[in-house]
Amino acid sequence: MKKVILATAMIAVSGLLAGCAPSGPTDGTDDVTINLWSWRTEDVEKYNSIFDVYEEANPGVTIEFQAYKSTEWAQILTTGLTGSNGPDVVMVQAYGRIQPFIEGGNLVQLDGKIDALDEFDPKALAGSTARDGSDVYGVPFASQILTMFYNKTIFADLGLEEPTTWEEFIDANETVLASGMTPLAVGGRDAWTLPMLHDNVAASTYGGSDFREGILDGSKTFEDPAYIAGIEALSNLEKYMPKDVVGVAYTEAQTLFIAEQAAMFPGGSFEQSFFETQNPDLDLGVFSIPAAPGAVSDETLTVGYADGSFAINAASDKQEAALDLVSWIATAEFGQLFADTVKQPSSVPGVKYNDPILKELTDAYAANGAPYLLLSDFRWETPSGTDIMNVELQNLLLGTTNASEVASKLQEGISTWFTPTK
Amino acid sequence: MVHANQVTSTPARRSSTSNRSRKTGRAMSRTAALTFVLPAAVLFGVFTLYPMLAAFGYSFFSWNGTARGDFALLSNYVDLFTKAPYIEQLPRAFGHNILLFVGAIVGQNTIGLGLAYLLHRLKTGRQLFQTLYTMPYLVSAVVVGYLWTLLLSPTFGPLNSFFAAIGLEDLSRPWLGDPSTALWVVILVAGWQWVGFPILLYGAALGGIPAELDEAASIDGATARQSFFAITLPLLVPAITTVSVLAFIYSMEAFALPYSFGGSTGSPAGSTDVLSLMFYRVAFDSGSSNGIGMSSAIATLMFIFIFGIAMLATVVMRRRENRIK
Repeated sequence: MKKVILATAMIAVSGLLAGCAPSGPTDGTDDVTINLWSWRTEDVEKYNSIFDVYEEANPGVTIEFQAYKSTEWAQILTTGLTGSNGPDVVMVQAYGRIQPFIEGGNLVQLDGKIDALDEFDPKALAGSTARDGSDVYGVPFASQILTMFYNKTIFADLGLEEPTTWEEFIDANETVLASGMTPLAVGGRDAWTLPMLHDNVAASTYGGSDFREGILDGSKTFEDPAYIAGIEALSNLEKYMPKDVVGVAYTEAQTLFIAEQAAMFPGGSFEQSFFETQNPDLDLGVFSIPAAPGAVSDETLTVGYADGSFAINAASDKQEAALDLVSWIATAEFGQLFADTVKQPSSVPGVKYNDPILKELTDAYAANGAPYLLLSDFRWETPSGTDIMNVELQNLLLGTTNASEVASKLQEGISTWFTPTK
Repeated sequence: MVHANQVTSTPARRSSTSNRSRKTGRAMSRTAALTFVLPAAVLFGVFTLYPMLAAFGYSFFSWNGTARGDFALLSNYVDLFTKAPYIEQLPRAFGHNILLFVGAIVGQNTIGLGLAYLLHRLKTGRQLFQTLYTMPYLVSAVVVGYLWTLLLSPTFGPLNSFFAAIGLEDLSRPWLGDPSTALWVVILVAGWQWVGFPILLYGAALGGIPAELDEAASIDGATARQSFFAITLPLLVPAITTVSVLAFIYSMEAFALPYSFGGSTGSPAGSTDVLSLMFYRVAFDSGSSNGIGMSSAIATLMFIFIFGIAMLATVVMRRRENRIK
């Protein structure tokens, strides 16, 4: 009896195995499978639906989209790109995050290989360009735009409108505060959110791209009065943030805003789809934060940065197919699919946005864009600009330091490795 | 594995040394012995020894991203002790590790030992309490950290609401948002999570002490207090060594709990920063092209320090144990 059961089981197992085995190439020899690695575990289905379109247009090509946990991504990518059996195409993060792989010779240089890249915004390409500014190594797929989200219902109930000046912005905060609600949902315990919050608040005040040029050519430093005024502006907003803001987590801040207990949420375009899925009744609006007292001009700027790009593993043995795929990423077809499916600002030029908020954000960035300075230019060495600000901005909100000391610390830390071009 | 081994190793060794020369050959051939050891040795070699030696080697080179650059001798190590930000972060992180260790050793050898002793004397319900006390130890440190951040949250956390409800608003504070309390929260929660471990270990060691000793002492008129300090405690020294050395190792390489409380930057403002977090930042967060070289240097120093002290402590304590016997 035992033998019969065993035999049956074995037959069943071998049947299963046969069922699992690949059915083999259907025709010809040009079938190719491209392994594509990403850190966007939350978007796997969306990307699969995008790549279905590519697979349909390119018979014989299969794209294996594999996403890894973002906390382990750095290690996994390093292993994948330096060892064998790695991916053919990878999604890589921008600026300082792509640089080690460029320096290590792990990525294929794309200049002159993809004509469409000439049409891209140089700000978007900067995220996947080598630090020395020479070559491009990835096709950028998304830009993120920083903004102030606000709850339109709360604003309407309190008789508020989108502020266009700093005074109006402060008035709006005061009105919300008087109503007993939290004006600004900020989570200062998660230090990484603070440099982002700082540029969101301060870019209009210190002057965005003009200031960047001054810093890079050495005519300005971070101790510039306008830069200090920007940090001061952030410090002045603390009374509108949740009490003991350095003890409040980023997720708690999100919850406050989603639960409509806070009127505004300073964040990035990457928050939008999360807010909408968590509370479909939330009536979202966005505005860019106007220039504060001490500003270089009264122009309101919108901060944006390159989020990541698609790059080719130099060790891949499917270079041709990989280049074809990455070239497609640079087309308007992919850009439109990406904007419609993943609902983030695409880096590809000429994309039309159906979503009103996405449209407003991308229009504002196109009209008056500013860089996320500490990410785009000061993340190449240790201590990076964001490393320093992570700590110093927490100190600022704790009241153990002040705006000009924060600026001095930043200047001092950056000076250990950065020399202006002049 | 290590603990059980160490607790029983002394008697086992004593009995085996006298017989080894005659018996081993007959009990098991060399080939058979090697066959049993091989799988574990291979796994250890591939997954522990090789990465460790590789990191050791990496630390002597300067790196260009993922590509190995020139041989740099000790320059990564020199940078660690001379250059900003390492020169500020390294001593601070190291100090926090030491505080974690002091908190752990004090908590485990007082509260842990005390509870184990009480449970040992408990006739009914011993296993129930042992299980209850051990439960947090069985939960992942990341989960423990996350749950405690929820409990201590200044916006939604129940702890501060509880203080408010009983009229003690003065006690409510942003526990994890205040640099003067955040590290103590990490130390206390680590102690709370780990208390089950000494309870198990000391429980087993107490069970191994023959009851006759206590009986003889009480016949001789010793009080419970006297027999605890004169009989039980000396016989627990091997277990105390084990608990202390393990507490040292876990405290020095603590990562998951501090990470879940303060993120990779050791929020707020670096007040919960520890060596492993610093390693993580330098290796994966810095964007510096020599990240691999610098982080390997940190890892190597951590290993040398932890291994050295743990070995030293074991040798010294073992000598003392032998003297007691």
